Amino acid sequence: MTRKSRLSEREPGSKPWLGWLADTALILYFVFALFPVAWMLILSLKPADQLFSTYFSFTPTLDSYRTVLGDSEGIPFVRFFVNSLVVSLGAVALSLVVGLPAAYASARWRFKGSENLMFTLLSFRFAPELTVIIPLFVLYQKLGLFDTYVGMVWVLQLVTLPLIVWIMRSYFADLTPELEQAALLDGYTRKQAFFRVALPLVKPGIAAVSLLAFIFAWNNFVFPLILTSSRAQTVTVGALSFLGGDRPKYNLTAAAALVSVVPPLLLALTIQRYLVRGLSFGAVKS
Amino acid sequence: MDMHVHDRRRFLALAAAAASAPLLTACGAGFGGDDKKNDGSAAADVTGSFDWKREKGKTVKALLNKHPYTDALIADLKTFTEKTGIKVEYDVFPEDNYFDKLTVDLSSGRASYDVFMLGAYMVWQYGPPGWLEDLGPWMRNSSATGDEWDRDDFFPNLLGADQWSLKAGAPLGQGGQYALPWGWETNVVAYNTEVFKKLGLKPAESFDALRDVASVIKRKAPGAGFDGMYGIAVRGSRSWATIHPGFMTMFARNGLKDFTVTDGKLKPAMNTPEAIAFTQDWAGMVKQGGPPSWTSYTWYQCSSDLGAKKAGMLFDADTAAYFQAVKGASPASGKIAFHPGPKGPDGSLATNMWIWSLGMNAKSKKKSAAWLFLQWATGKEHLRKGAITYNHIDPVRKSISQDGAYKDKMKHLEGFIDTFETVVDQTKIQFTPQAQFFDATTSWASALQEIYGGKNAKSVLNGLASDLASKVS
Amino acid sequence: MTSLTETDHGAASREEGARQVRAVPRWRRGLRPYLLIVPALLLTGGILYPFGLGLYYTLFDFSASKPRPDMVGFENYRTVFTQEAFWNSAWVTVLYAVGAAAVETVLGVAVALLLHRSSRVGRVLEKILILPLMIAPVIAAIIWKLMLQPSVGVINHLLTPFGLGGVQWTDTPTGALLSSIAVDVWVYTPFVAILALAGLRSLPTSPFEAAAVDGAHWWYTFRRLTLPMLWPYVLVAVIFRFMDSLKVFDIIYALTEGGPGDSTVVLQIRAYLEAIRFQRYSFGISYTIVLWAVVYLAAMVLVRYLGRLQNRAAEVSK
Repeated sequence: MTRKSRLSEREPGSKPWLGWLADTALILYFVFALFPVAWMLILSLKPADQLFSTYFSFTPTLDSYRTVLGDSEGIPFVRFFVNSLVVSLGAVALSLVVGLPAAYASARWRFKGSENLMFTLLSFRFAPELTVIIPLFVLYQKLGLFDTYVGMVWVLQLVTLPLIVWIMRSYFADLTPELEQAALLDGYTRKQAFFRVALPLVKPGIAAVSLLAFIFAWNNFVFPLILTSSRAQTVTVGALSFLGGDRPKYNLTAAAALVSVVPPLLLALTIQRYLVRGLSFGAVKS
Repeated sequence: MDMHVHDRRRFLALAAAAASAPLLTACGAGFGGDDKKNDGSAAADVTGSFDWKREKGKTVKALLNKHPYTDALIADLKTFTEKTGIKVEYDVFPEDNYFDKLTVDLSSGRASYDVFMLGAYMVWQYGPPGWLEDLGPWMRNSSATGDEWDRDDFFPNLLGADQWSLKAGAPLGQGGQYALPWGWETNVVAYNTEVFKKLGLKPAESFDALRDVASVIKRKAPGAGFDGMYGIAVRGSRSWATIHPGFMTMFARNGLKDFTVTDGKLKPAMNTPEAIAFTQDWAGMVKQGGPPSWTSYTWYQCSSDLGAKKAGMLFDADTAAYFQAVKGASPASGKIAFHPGPKGPDGSLATNMWIWSLGMNAKSKKKSAAWLFLQWATGKEHLRKGAITYNHIDPVRKSISQDGAYKDKMKHLEGFIDTFETVVDQTKIQFTPQAQFFDATTSWASALQEIYGGKNAKSVLNGLASDLASKVS
Repeated sequence: MTSLTETDHGAASREEGARQVRAVPRWRRGLRPYLLIVPALLLTGGILYPFGLGLYYTLFDFSASKPRPDMVGFENYRTVFTQEAFWNSAWVTVLYAVGAAAVETVLGVAVALLLHRSSRVGRVLEKILILPLMIAPVIAAIIWKLMLQPSVGVINHLLTPFGLGGVQWTDTPTGALLSSIAVDVWVYTPFVAILALAGLRSLPTSPFEAAAVDGAHWWYTFRRLTLPMLWPYVLVAVIFRFMDSLKVFDIIYALTEGGPGDSTVVLQIRAYLEAIRFQRYSFGISYTIVLWAVVYLAAMVLVRYLGRLQNRAAEVSK
């Protein structure tokens, strides 16, 4: 099996200056993409009184991180952090459990209304949060789901499930059915064929799409803002709390935001080798 | 008529059965409404002699906005619990989201929080639907309220500002007491003493002078060692909050009104020839001496620019400047002085204000305990501690504003006490109370931005007025 | 061209595959896919049950100043559609969504193509491609606002040597819209780039080998092979991005609040102001329902287009 990636490189790469140009363009994009993150890092390392008076020369301090992680502003950030972990992981796990079968079914079978059902599922994602937020708030209060993990995991399905179903569906569809057929001929049941043949093959895809779903769940703002209070509040809402009151403490917000990047970043690095390859599926197809 | 009601009711019943019987009644903030208005207050149930321990063992839930006043309150909560045996659970949200949270909670008709922070303007929105408990009966009941609370100690204009008869256009200071003043802000001018000294400037006493000073600073300060400094920071974002500080204060000092009220009917007045001229001048001041990218300016940008020595002056809440001025807060610490700001043509120092108030949920099931909490939080003991030990400044009580220890604490801030004492009697809510306040002021801010952007002030303000006329009537 | 089609290895089409796999009775076979999809539908549908209630609200004149509402039929929608403010918001929303989705698509695909070359620089940068996506959009917007603040912001500071220190990014209607789009682009380009890169890596090799044997020009290969086969992958990303930016809220709320004037009051901002800030629930929710309908229709068109594209891509790769 050849590495396809070389193929398209060959043409522009034939002239070295084109290669240089391409690298320069790439670096330019990454300057744009990384500068704000670098700036947040700088903000988070600045002492409060140098926040606006200097740009790049300042006395670095870890005070902001100490404040954020030490809960000393009266904001229990560490608890919010744990909350975010629980609800985001929970939401992705639940989405995988119900989403993978759905994705598989719609990719493997052509059945009546299949496209409509899939589209309905996708369309749930389009409902503007504001339409549902007030009735949802009341419903959650009634059902005792307000400010709970279960409530958050459930509502985040609107964010994670359509993404997982729609992306995994393309990967199941790209997976040739021959392998499962062979397995069936070998006496596997449908269920076994799914679990032992299809699922392992799309594992990289699952890893990658889970990461994306995790990030979107982690970053969601409106749902935790309205549907949680102190017990189940998440980091995104929590990080903003540092801006209130006497002075806008961007150093603390930046520190909080960077701390909250850690879990998705670790996750991304762990599955690094799946991330792009996982979302692609060429290896199986060719 | 009968038919109509009947049809509607049947339809409601049908829909409720089909969709969500419990939900609809739960959304009763709206559907169904609050039936027992003026049916007597729960305050009447409190009898006997006053006792702080009356409700011991109860828990009160509070929704709080992240603020230094809140920090002071939270730090002192154990005093309250010791005093009353009541536990306080609280949630703190940042200001940008605080009112969204509170509004959704109140409008759902749930009593998730017994007490919460609000501003006087919110009373106009939360009061009419019956979400706020009238605290008047509680204050007047000597079984519920201890003598030491001392209602007459509050600045009367503050207490009056949270009082309203719930009728659009009716003056404040009459009707129910829908919240208690807790901490407040006057809108005055704070300035950078360094740049004033260097350029030989004096705080402006008239609006013309203010505009001059602002543009002089913007022209000269950058060349005089104040890199990138402009004249005056005022809010400019597309939000109700842009109108109420400096703008409304200067507007009022010019003798202008937002609405005129005749026979209980409101008529927008932000498009009178005088108001148009003033608005034009204000936009001109921002152009000549205001911040770059003014239309994105909220109090964050305004106050941090003053602290970063990018703004020569700040016409906003005195507290916004205070928190930049205190030691170690910013590069401008120690170089910020306060001044009442320009007078109106007739010498008026009419000043608009923001009051952080505490209110009680009309749906609360622990009103007696909640009242004890409000009483304590607005009482002398806590507020004095807040003012002296913490940063609960701009006291709502006369006794604290005159307190030696408080004055001592504030005296290192040039002009702070003087300014406060100069404007305090002329400080009140300068808006006409009406439920569409947030809509009116948001549109007003948008109009201001368009005028600043070069549109004709007269036509923009006429458009605003005709739009609002239909909304407030 | 014929040489291209010869390289197809003739994998069984999906339908054929499914037809051959028949080990259970027919009725159960017919039911199975539904059973597999139903949990997902119930889970999301259940949470959206209040959506119906929201819809129901819009038939009333429910607001804080009218807590005992009357049924008004479609009056709210009539008001929405006759308001100049609505058409302005709709226009701004479309500009924003088209602008953001278009830039993200072009930039995302470009970045993916550049990374796909797999140069030394690219291999390093690929590892951090996803980073901006990890900053919550609302926080990203706040940081961008700070960076774009001319008085203390770092961007104007860095541009001062180039004579651009005084640029007032968000102070004009066009500037405010472009700045908001820029933040959206910053946050979400990696999303498109990752999916596009994944698509590139999964393209079948044979057509390219054939094209190389034929000595096809790289531009020809790119236009006739890479792009059509890649497009379905990209389009999934574009659909998500376009739909999401039609209902943008947090970025604009944190950056411009809809200003200056009404220049960035997108539909969700208008709905938020009406429903939450001004407490005209029924009316505000009507706005969101209209928005939802718009998004729904746009998605339907795009998804149908996606289906056609996938078919075409399948043909190209044969």
